[in-house]
Parts: sequence; structure tokens; C-alpha cells
Amino acid sequence: MSDGRPESDDKPWTDPDAVPFLQVKNLTKRFGAFTAVDSVSLDVYKGEIFCLLGGSGCGKSTLLRLLSGFEEATAGQIIIDGQDQEGVPPYARETNMMFQSYALFPHMSVEKNIAYGLKRDGLPKAEIATRVTDMLSLVQMDGFATRKPHQLSGGQKQRVALARSLIKKPKLLLLDEPLGALDKKLREETQFELITIQESLGVTFVVVTHDQEEAMTLSSRIGVMNAGQIVQVGTPHEIYEYPQSRFVADFIGSVNLFEGRITADHEDHVIISSPESGTDIFVPHGISGVEGQQVALAVRPEKLQISKSPLENLRNTMKGTIEEIAYMGNESVFQVLLDSGKQVRISQSNRMRTTDHTLTWDDQVYIGWNDDASVVLSS
Amino acid sequence: MKSRSRLLQMVGLLGFIFLYAPILSLVIYSFNESKLVTVWGGFSTRWYGELFRDPQILGAAWISVKIAFLSASIAIVIGTLASFVLIRFARFRAKSLLSMLITAPLVMPEVIIGLSLLLLFVAMEGVIGWPGGRGLVTIIIAHSTFGAAYAAVVIQSRLVDMDLSIEEAAQDLGAKPVRVFFDITLPVIAPALVSAWLLAFTLSLDDLVIASFVSGPGASTLPMVIFSKVRLGVSPDVNALATIIIGLVSLGVIVAALQMNRSKRQSEQR
Repeated sequence: MSDGRPESDDKPWTDPDAVPFLQVKNLTKRFGAFTAVDSVSLDVYKGEIFCLLGGSGCGKSTLLRLLSGFEEATAGQIIIDGQDQEGVPPYARETNMMFQSYALFPHMSVEKNIAYGLKRDGLPKAEIATRVTDMLSLVQMDGFATRKPHQLSGGQKQRVALARSLIKKPKLLLLDEPLGALDKKLREETQFELITIQESLGVTFVVVTHDQEEAMTLSSRIGVMNAGQIVQVGTPHEIYEYPQSRFVADFIGSVNLFEGRITADHEDHVIISSPESGTDIFVPHGISGVEGQQVALAVRPEKLQISKSPLENLRNTMKGTIEEIAYMGNESVFQVLLDSGKQVRISQSNRMRTTDHTLTWDDQVYIGWNDDASVVLSS
Repeated sequence: MKSRSRLLQMVGLLGFIFLYAPILSLVIYSFNESKLVTVWGGFSTRWYGELFRDPQILGAAWISVKIAFLSASIAIVIGTLASFVLIRFARFRAKSLLSMLITAPLVMPEVIIGLSLLLLFVAMEGVIGWPGGRGLVTIIIAHSTFGAAYAAVVIQSRLVDMDLSIEEAAQDLGAKPVRVFFDITLPVIAPALVSAWLLAFTLSLDDLVIASFVSGPGASTLPMVIFSKVRLGVSPDVNALATIIIGLVSLGVIVAALQMNRSKRQSEQR
């Protein structure tokens, strides 16, 4: 492990013998009658950036506060590096947290903010000074040591907060919406810096975010949360391309859902009758369902094709009318009203400056998708 | 529109005259040469000089300052503890009752506070033999109690505004709760402590009623001395003394207000 990442295996979660660095077992947190975190189990491996993704009130922040020790679990277990964390107060845990508001100490300079954790550990002054200097250069804030927090911009505060939470070399760094307060441009730059820093230090990150784009770029794996539960765990690719439920498909990116019923269930293909789409839909693989079962078929807007002429090479096609066109610069999004009455969104990337002007409002169009572009969702 | 704004100005001016004319006349008459308070005999600072040669007044002033200093200091300690408990441990049951109780001295008639404290001191002396008689100590205790009520109100408003996550961040970095209080909470609420202290100091300096109840021989505060002097007829040196007190009190109030403003601005910047 020279650069912090296990070289032998980049995906420790696929290795049955790998020991998780953070284990969460049936963790539950209730506030009165409200269950914020509902029997969550989770394994995070060393060196991962694990994102907890969910809407507001889904319990992701509570889960983070349980990990940091600010909340006590109602039931369940948290094990970090083999040590049960029950009864360990926040100041004794080997986790550090980067707060959403950054929570910089307003009366201390940048330098003192960063040094605070080491000072509490009673380290010699000389060592504190060198480590603070190193940390300042790691987050590219060398010239700002003596500034006070209110003299910093949002992005600079974010760096100081990161430096302060990393200086104790925590086993686990918990980040609560680390980029939430930054504007879009800065967010994109900072995302990659965050990954670089994480890789150079080898600290395991658990990130809470409601921003799916942030989760997609940052994380090694994502845990999607809804109503206190983790509904799916997987790599960004798995979560996007193979969502396991309507919720995940709908929450991550946009999606067209066709409700239907399995009418023919074969080993190598399935036919789904979907009155919504006005046709039978062909799925080129078997699924673990039974005939007559209610399912939903998910197709991402960018996987749909749109054309004025019939798409004869595709098995799943439908006819409709263009209702709306949204030009977004890098892509155009079409809203098509199918003859069956369902609205479908299709996005096409604008590869050339002059394309797409052939398609316009009220055009009769054909839409369709490749056999393998759809995902069948039974829950 | 213009006439209306002129009317508003007039009303405002009248209000200010109503409020400040008596004080202004007192200040002017403090520079009166004549010994008769109501007759203008020309400008002079004679009574100020006389004032500083009066051992009774100087002694009382010194006692008042001592009492105000000590009681203000005790008041902010009690006030800080009370507001910290009220704001931070939000979940405990008697919270609203307690927060009402702590602010009760603000609206309670001073006569009642003074009387009840006097009764308490007498009873305590009978039972535990302390405080032995009434004097400096009893006034300090009395002023601390009502000063604490005012201090608690000022400090609470600051604590409510304080971002809880900075305390959590300190804990997260390895500071135990007591450490967090001294490293983080206290410095952040320091401006409120200063204004609370100034407020309690001023209130203690001003108080006549409560002090009269709980005072004993040899512990006459400045307001008590002034009051007894005035009862024998208004003498011009009292005017001079009152002018000095007005000056000091307004200075205190202005500094306190500036402090509060500054800390508010700082917290808004964050």
C-alpha cells in the first residue's frame, strides 16, 4: 500500500475475505416516535470514499453524527478498525468530521484552527508547527496562516475546514456536504482536489451529500438512502446503470419509467406489456420475476433515440409528438408526447453546432432504444 | 409629504425635549455659581471642587464602585451558567419555568426584592449566623441576584445565535466538554459578557431601593447618600455629582451598545 490505495485489489468489496474497515450493524436511531436511521448495515473498506446519498430528512446526516459520536444509537453497532465504538465520546473517537457550515473557530487564526486538534493531544510545539505548515501547503493555503475565518472566502474556508479535520490523521474522515456551500464552478474544481488529497493520505472518507453529481464524481461507492434505510449500495456505475428500485432510478439522474406487466417470461428474454407505452416491450434477458407481475421499465433519456423516420433497426419503438425542446448547450432535451398519452424525455448531446435544428416543436417522431438499454424494476 | 415629515420631526423633537430637558437643566445648574439651586448666579465649577473635598461623598462613591464591581462580576458568572444551562440543555423539563424565573427580577418591584432579601438575610443570620449583620456583603449579594437576571438575558441572546457546530467541532478534535467551554464558548460569547458586565455594573451603581433595604451602618452607597442629602434640601454639589454620574452611566451604556453592535456585525459576517 504505497500510495494509500490497496494495489492488489481496487475493489475490496468484491473480495469476500477482505475485512471492512468500518462496519455498521443494524444501526437504529429514534428521536421519540420518529425513526431517523432504520436498521442500517454497511461495510466500508480502507481507503474508500463512500458517499451516503439521499434527499433531505433521509437520515444520512444522523448516520454521520452516529459515526462521529454526537448521537447515541438506539440499537446496533459501529465498529471502526475492529473497535466497537459504543460509549466512546466524540472527543475520544479516531474519527474527525468536516462540518457543512465548516464550523471554523471564529476567534482563532487559520493556523490556530488547524493546530487545535494537535494541541489537545498535547503534541510538542515544534511538531505541531511543522504539521500545520505541511497541511497548509497540502490544501494550498500557505499564505493564509494568520488570517481570521471571517477574512476568507467560501472556498478558502472549505480548505481550512478540510485541513483541520485531516491534521490528526483520523482513521475515518466524515464529511457533511463538503462542497455544498460552494458555487458550481468551484465545486467542480474542489471535487478533484478532494480526491487527490484523499488518495495521497489514504484516509477513508465517508461523505454525506444530497448532490448526486458530487456523489458520482467523488465516490468509490455510493449508498443511496431513503426514509432512514439504505436502499442500494454500489459503485457510481452500478447505481446509475443498474438501479434496483424505482426510487434509486428516479433519484439518480432522470429516467423514463414505463409501468407494465410481465406477459411472457422466458429464459433468455421477457415481454412486458405496457399499456402506458402502447406496445409490448422486449427485454433481452431473463429476470427473477413471475408472469403477470407488475414491474417498471426504466430507460435513461440519453439512451433513447429520436428520429423523424421509423427506427427500423430497433425492436422497441414508439411514435409521438415533440412537445418541448430544452436547449442546454451541451445537450438538448426533448419532451415527447407518445400516442399512448405518456410523456417521455429524451436527451441528445449536441456534437455539432448545426445539428438538431431539423427537429422542432410538433414534429411527428419515432423514439426507441437498444435492447439492452432498459432496466426492469420490480420494487 | 413634506409637511408630514416636518410634523414627524416636531413630534420627535418634543419627545426628546420631554425626556432630556430635566437632565439638561440639572447639568446646567451644576455649573451654577449661586448656592441657591433655583437662581442662576453665573458659570462656575465651584461645586465640583467642593464635591471632591467632601469625604462623605467620596467614601460613598468608593463603596458604590466596589459593590458594583464585585456584584457585576458575580452576576455574569451566575448569568452565564444559567443561560448556558437554559440554552444548551434544551431538553430538560423545567426549562420554560426556569427561564421565566430567572427573568422575574426584571419585572418584580424593587421594594419587594429588597424586602424579601432583607427578610432572608435576617433569617439566615438567625439560623446559620451568616451574614453577620447587614453591610457591604449583603448589598453585593443583593445586587448580584438582580444583576444576574439582566446578565442572563443578554448572554442568552448571544448563545442562541452561536453556531452549535463549532462546539461540536472542538469536541470532535479531542476537547472534552469543559475544555470546549473555555476554549470556544467563552471567547465567542465574550462581547456579550462585557456588555452584561457593564449593564450589571451600571444597575448596581444606580440602585437605591434595594440597597436601602439590605444596607447596614457604614455601608451607605452613593445613591443613598444623595437621597439623604436631598431630603435636607437640594444642595448644588448634588447637581454636580448627578452630572458626573449621568456622564459615567451614559458612557457605560454607549460602550455596552457598541460592544453588542460589534459582536452582532461580526457574527453576521460569518
